[in-house]
Amino acid sequence: MAVDLSIFLVLVQDGIVNGAIYGLLALALVIVFTVTRVILVPIGEFVAFGALTLAALETGTLPGTVWLLGILGIASAVCRLWTSRRHATARSVAWQLGTSLLLPVVVTALAWACLHFQAPQLVKVLVVLAIVAPMGPYLYDVVYRPMADASVLVLLIVSVALHLALQGLGLVFFGAEGSRTQSLADATLEIGPMFITGQSIVVILVTIALIIALFLFFERTLMGRALRATAVNRLGARLVAISPALCGHVAFTLAAIIGALGGILISAMTTIYYDTGFLIALKGFVAAVIGGLVSYPLAAASAILIGLVESFASFHASAFKEVLVFMIILPVLLWRSWRTPALLDEGEE
Amino acid sequence: MSASHRIAALVLLAAAILAPLLPAFPPFWITLLSYIGLSSLVALGLVVLVGVAGLTSFGQAMFVGFGAYTTAILTTRYGLSPWLTLPVALLVSGLLAWGIGAITLRLKGHYLAIATIAWNVSFYYLAGNLDFFQRNDGISGIPAITLFGIDFADSLNFYWLVLFCLVLAIVLTRNLLDSRPGRAVRALRGGALAAESFGVNTYKARVLAFVYAGILAGLSGWLYAHLQRAVNPSPFGINMSIDYLLMAVAGGVHNIGGALLGAAIVTILRDQLQTMLPWLLNAQGNFETIVFGALLILILQFSPRGLWPHLMRLFDRLMPKAAEPAVPPASEAPPLPLRQQPDRGAEVLRATELRKQFGGLVAVDNVGFQLNAGEVVGLIGPNGAGKSTTFNLLTGVLPATRGSVLFLKDEICGRTARHIATLGIARTFQHVKLVHGMSVLDNVALGAHLRASAGPVQAALLLDKAEEARIFALAWQQLHRVGLAHCAHLAADELSLGQQRLVEIARALCLDPVLLLLDEPAAGLRHLEKAALAKLLDKLRQEGMTILLVEHDMDFVMNLTDRLVVMNFGAELAQGRPKDIQGNPAVIDAYLGTAA
Amino acid sequence: MRKLAAGLLLALGLTTAAQAADPIRVGVVISETGPGASLGIPEGRSIRLLPQEIEGRPVEWIVLDDGSDTTRAVTNMRKLISDNRVDAVIGSTVTPASIAMVEVAAEQRIPMISLAGSAAIVSPVDDRRRWVFKTAQNDALMAGAVVDHMAAAGVKSLGIIAVSDSYGDGWLSIIAPLLQERGIRVTGTERYARTDTSATGQTLKVLAGRPDAVFIISAGTPAALPAKALRERGYRGPMYQTHGVANADFLRVGGREVEGTVLPVAPVTVADQLPESHPSRAVARQYRDAYEAAHGAGSVSAFGSYAYDAGLLLQRAIPVALRTAQPGTPEFRVALRDALEGLRDVTYVNGVVNMSATDHVGQDERARVMAVIKNGTWQALPQ
Repeated sequence: MAVDLSIFLVLVQDGIVNGAIYGLLALALVIVFTVTRVILVPIGEFVAFGALTLAALETGTLPGTVWLLGILGIASAVCRLWTSRRHATARSVAWQLGTSLLLPVVVTALAWACLHFQAPQLVKVLVVLAIVAPMGPYLYDVVYRPMADASVLVLLIVSVALHLALQGLGLVFFGAEGSRTQSLADATLEIGPMFITGQSIVVILVTIALIIALFLFFERTLMGRALRATAVNRLGARLVAISPALCGHVAFTLAAIIGALGGILISAMTTIYYDTGFLIALKGFVAAVIGGLVSYPLAAASAILIGLVESFASFHASAFKEVLVFMIILPVLLWRSWRTPALLDEGEE
Repeated sequence: MSASHRIAALVLLAAAILAPLLPAFPPFWITLLSYIGLSSLVALGLVVLVGVAGLTSFGQAMFVGFGAYTTAILTTRYGLSPWLTLPVALLVSGLLAWGIGAITLRLKGHYLAIATIAWNVSFYYLAGNLDFFQRNDGISGIPAITLFGIDFADSLNFYWLVLFCLVLAIVLTRNLLDSRPGRAVRALRGGALAAESFGVNTYKARVLAFVYAGILAGLSGWLYAHLQRAVNPSPFGINMSIDYLLMAVAGGVHNIGGALLGAAIVTILRDQLQTMLPWLLNAQGNFETIVFGALLILILQFSPRGLWPHLMRLFDRLMPKAAEPAVPPASEAPPLPLRQQPDRGAEVLRATELRKQFGGLVAVDNVGFQLNAGEVVGLIGPNGAGKSTTFNLLTGVLPATRGSVLFLKDEICGRTARHIATLGIARTFQHVKLVHGMSVLDNVALGAHLRASAGPVQAALLLDKAEEARIFALAWQQLHRVGLAHCAHLAADELSLGQQRLVEIARALCLDPVLLLLDEPAAGLRHLEKAALAKLLDKLRQEGMTILLVEHDMDFVMNLTDRLVVMNFGAELAQGRPKDIQGNPAVIDAYLGTAA
Repeated sequence: MRKLAAGLLLALGLTTAAQAADPIRVGVVISETGPGASLGIPEGRSIRLLPQEIEGRPVEWIVLDDGSDTTRAVTNMRKLISDNRVDAVIGSTVTPASIAMVEVAAEQRIPMISLAGSAAIVSPVDDRRRWVFKTAQNDALMAGAVVDHMAAAGVKSLGIIAVSDSYGDGWLSIIAPLLQERGIRVTGTERYARTDTSATGQTLKVLAGRPDAVFIISAGTPAALPAKALRERGYRGPMYQTHGVANADFLRVGGREVEGTVLPVAPVTVADQLPESHPSRAVARQYRDAYEAAHGAGSVSAFGSYAYDAGLLLQRAIPVALRTAQPGTPEFRVALRDALEGLRDVTYVNGVVNMSATDHVGQDERARVMAVIKNGTWQALPQ
């Protein structure tokens, strides 16, 4: 069937919007991988938690994620106090207790207040981020930090196990049926044959803003540079007194925020289920790998490519959409693999 | 495998055979054991693929699907007997693994992992959307297996069948890994460069591992189809592939036993949690996956290399210490036919105007020298002079930007490392490249790769025994020569760095080379060891071997070599007898540095 | 002589008393997690509403979750049969798992009642399917009603968007001949996955065919995605859905975009609106009240009622089977199967059942009601 211009433009728009979400996740995956060598499979659960927590707040119920946050906070406090038992000072203990125990209490109070005072949408979004973001560093403390020296494969399998556990929790908290959230911008824009929804503009703007913010963070701030240093050389970074744990915390916090934000953005356009996140994360992961798990621009570009292929495939051969998406990835992978310098030897000179 | 391990394995096998015959054995556990067996087969393939060859695959469920769908389609649509479809199923999964591997195995690291995901996802959706596979509802009414009146629909009979297949697969896997092609696969983890430089076709080795794992998965699929009697896409999706990987890693991905242990743990945990949790929590709900995930995290935190190594350590502590395996006496007779060495003094290698450029940096600039048979030549120069790069140019590891290298009058510039090894150039590495976790003896035997020919099928069926015996006789001989026979059964990484260098020399000697390239062989050796090494190299020279060595220990070099080639800043500085070089002002300048 | 007879009678009485304590065990394998969870969870809850006693004998309902996975469904069924020695099995939630379980039912000779939609599970009733019954309406029964409605409404061309799983496959194969019969042209058939984040491409393709109406084939909240996408792309024509969507969550997620959608539903979905003459009115309302008392107003869905109906069928068949055999024996399973096949005029939540040797669903038009979504609720259409 011929594709006329208006259909073409709609498909492009759809592809770019979905690709932007994959791109966000790809960025988060690259950040976490370069800093901690963890392939964060559960980022999909951050997406689902973000979307469904917002949906719960909108329907006026206290989301189950609040309790999860509390439990993770306690577990993280225990793990952190245990690891630092040798050189604990009053100040460090207070800091650890404050960030691990007090924070969930404050966030829960915020969520409760949000429900009781009919908070505007934007406030709800912020509260959702406050609920999901601390889960990142808590999970890092509880799950990954005790085994920071394990191989990439083992860390990946741990991520899979964590993904299973969190997905199970998602089902308990939110049930099997999906939810949608209110649009962040209801307006629509018509440019010639183009018909752009406000939400897709929001998605693209937020993505661009986030990329700029991340760029500034990595280029301009001390913490960002420390993260980059860790990514380039873990041992070297340690020798110049960059704390790997602190870097892990920052990376995981960023990932949780980006994941939740992705969920919030997309849940106004589609129905999100407790198990939607995995497939979105998988596509983000594919994009991240095409970028070699190091290159941010390449990862973002391949995410857009995946979104576009998906959009056009769902128009032309919807039954074989996934087949087309993944088969088109293969030549890209071959090309990328050839482009990476010949692996003469891992340790050669 | 020590005797106590062998006895333990036999006891375990006896238990696996006898336990289901006990009257008190719960009947469902027989079914459960069958399922554990099916998963073990796939996990066993993953041990070869991930643990041994270092290739991560997220596509094993797809190969299970190939086996299952092949027999499902052939038995229900064409009425073939399951016994006829067994070879077809194995062939189909093997061939598809070969085809998919041929396209994908050139990929590296994470690219390969993602590619296997792509294949698996595609297969899943194809099976769900094509009428050929009867879409999402799948194929039902698959006949049960029967043989001479034995009905394998009976769960106990089926269990025997699974157990038989599993034991067979374990034996085949052990045979394969303990053979020439198996060592080639194991060599992949020591780095492709080292493996290629003594003649292993690493790409072929990768394909071999991939196909073998695919065939094991296909066998599991064939069994699955006849146990389940119905197939549909759901057990062959990416989630199941991840599950198999999870089993292998939780059990211990570097050990055959780990595959079995992992499959058992994951299957039993899943099954028991669904009955225990409602009872423990006294609540209805879906907490199984949560607890399952949490338990797995704890298991991996407790033992990142899987549970099997823990189990073995415990077992070894309980068992009496096995006697040290005997060291066979040194022998001089060559176990394998030797190559015709060139006449003493004849030209072996001539490099002319060699140049290597990395972007703007010229690492080797117009270097030329000649090596004659029976000569020991030293390549010396300060750090960064381009000595190792020259080595890499001679051995085909790096392509030269320009120039020519004639080896026995053949141009070898532009040839692959593997081809150059075939011609008779063996080398060692500045940064030792032995396969960790593999014994010293096996590492040395790897050097004889090109002098034997056994393939995977011969190896699996133990038809390579005579050849293996000769290979190991050769390996022992070379170990005796470098004085490390007493370390033969240690893991290579347990040796000191100096000893590891000697192991590399022994491995290189196994190739029966015309020309031996040694990259800093004496570094890390103690005084007496150095003397022994010098004596060995001198002996080799007397036997007619040609040796080129890079070395920083000037005493060692000056006393041993016939000639020296001195390099500085990529360029050739001087050539000549050690005595002359010692007095060469340019060389002294380069080493001691001028005013700068 | 009299003494002896009395003694015998006493002995007989004792044995029956002893046997009365022996419970009847029913295994339930459903998908409480995984893609089928939105169906499996209400099914599990409905099983827990079933009586713990039939004719004075205790009944144990043993529920296991199969995670919507075929392998686990079959494993769990085998576990229930050999470990728990169940007399019958209810399940599974989804069609592929049910089809695989049919093989176990035939092999182990145990009656099984599936809760899934596809007719392929129970028909044709051959050697393997002799043991299998089903409570969910055959898709064909529902499809007939939908196509009738389309024809009556003057729909000449139809665009179809179906979920790409077994449910979508089943409906597509059923509906094609029916549409052809009525002269309704299919302008295009598009597929989408449950967890897709966008159905824009499919929607555009379907609308490019300019159909009179669009039929969305999906279950639960996933069915709302194409409906919303259609409205977003400016489609204002009639929309049809299947009975798979009939739960409150679909209305919540679908919102105003699914207003006016026409669909066949199970009687329980519109229990209050059933005419007094409808045989299921009383039992459907009773079930709904019990369910909603436990899980909140508006929580009832048709899926749960299939499990409840399976329980009702067993409640009717078990007493018949008990007359000839004792629970826990192979004979009892045979008797139970025969009793299930012999059920006539049994009223359950979703209509009236008349089983026969060739029909193991046994439903008629009373098992379906055409409805429309109005003001965010289900409104029964005049039959």
